[in-house]
Amino acid sequence: MSKKSASVWTSIRFWRRSAAWVTGTATVLLIWLTFDTMGQISMGSDADLAKGIKHRIPAATVINYHVDYQFDQKRGHEVPVIGEKEKFFGKEWSAKDAAALLHHGKLTSQAKNCMNCHTLLGNGGYYAPDLTKAWLDAKWNDGTMTGITGKNTKEEAMAEFLMHPSQYPTHARMMPDLGITQDEAVALVAFLKHMSAIDTNGFPRNFSQSAKRLEGGTHAH
Amino acid sequence: MWETCSDLVCNNLFAWLNQGPLTLTIFLHTVLIVPMFFIYFQEKKRLQEGKED
Repeated sequence: MSKKSASVWTSIRFWRRSAAWVTGTATVLLIWLTFDTMGQISMGSDADLAKGIKHRIPAATVINYHVDYQFDQKRGHEVPVIGEKEKFFGKEWSAKDAAALLHHGKLTSQAKNCMNCHTLLGNGGYYAPDLTKAWLDAKWNDGTMTGITGKNTKEEAMAEFLMHPSQYPTHARMMPDLGITQDEAVALVAFLKHMSAIDTNGFPRNFSQSAKRLEGGTHAH
Repeated sequence: MWETCSDLVCNNLFAWLNQGPLTLTIFLHTVLIVPMFFIYFQEKKRLQEGKED
C-alpha cells in the first residue's frame, strides 16, 4: 500500500491526544506535589522534638527549647538548631498549652496587623524589620534589650517591648503602642519564637550578618 | 548542573528536581515533550495509512 502524503498539524486527533497527555500528566504531578507539600509543611510532634527528629515546622512545644541559628556547611546557609530545654516565661509548657498560646499569638498578630509594617516569613510591609527570625536577633541576647527594659530574660524583655514599644526607641522608625496586653504579649513572643524555629531554607539570607550590619534595620529583602 | 541536595528532605522526587536550574526543565521535557513526538509519529503513520480522524 502506498503511503499518502499527510499533515499531522491539521489533525484534530493529534492535538486532542497531545493536550490530554500534557494536561493529564501535569494534573497528576501537581496533585502529587500538593500532597507532598502538605506532608512537609505540617507541624512535627512533641515526641519528634524530644527525639531530635527534624521537621520544617516543629511542634508548638519548641518554645520549651533553646533555639539557635547556625551556619550549615552542607546546606550553605543558616539553619535553626533546636538545643537543650529552657524555661519559657519561667515554666515548661504542655503540648496543649503551647498550642493554645501559639494560636493566641497568631490571632494577636493578625488583630494588631503586624504585617502592616513588618514581614512575617517574607509576607507583609517593608517598613519595619522582618520578624521571621526576630527571636534570634542578637539584640535580645547581648543584654541590650534586657538592659533597656530592666528584665531578666529575653522573653520578658520582648513582651515588655511589645507592650510599650514607644518607651524603648530602638530605631528611627519607632513602633507605635498598639495596646497589647500582657497575655497577648506573651502569646506573641511564643509565636515569634516558634516562627524562628521554622526551617525556611535560609530565609532571610545571611540573617546573623545582616542583623549586625543593619543595626536593627530591615531584613525584609 | 548536578548539585548535592541541600534541602532538609532529600529522598524525594521534588527535592531531586530542585537540584539545579536544568533538572526540572529536563524532567518536564522528558515526561511531556518526548511522548508528544511519539504521538506525532503515531498519528502521522495513521494518516499515511489513510485512516480517518
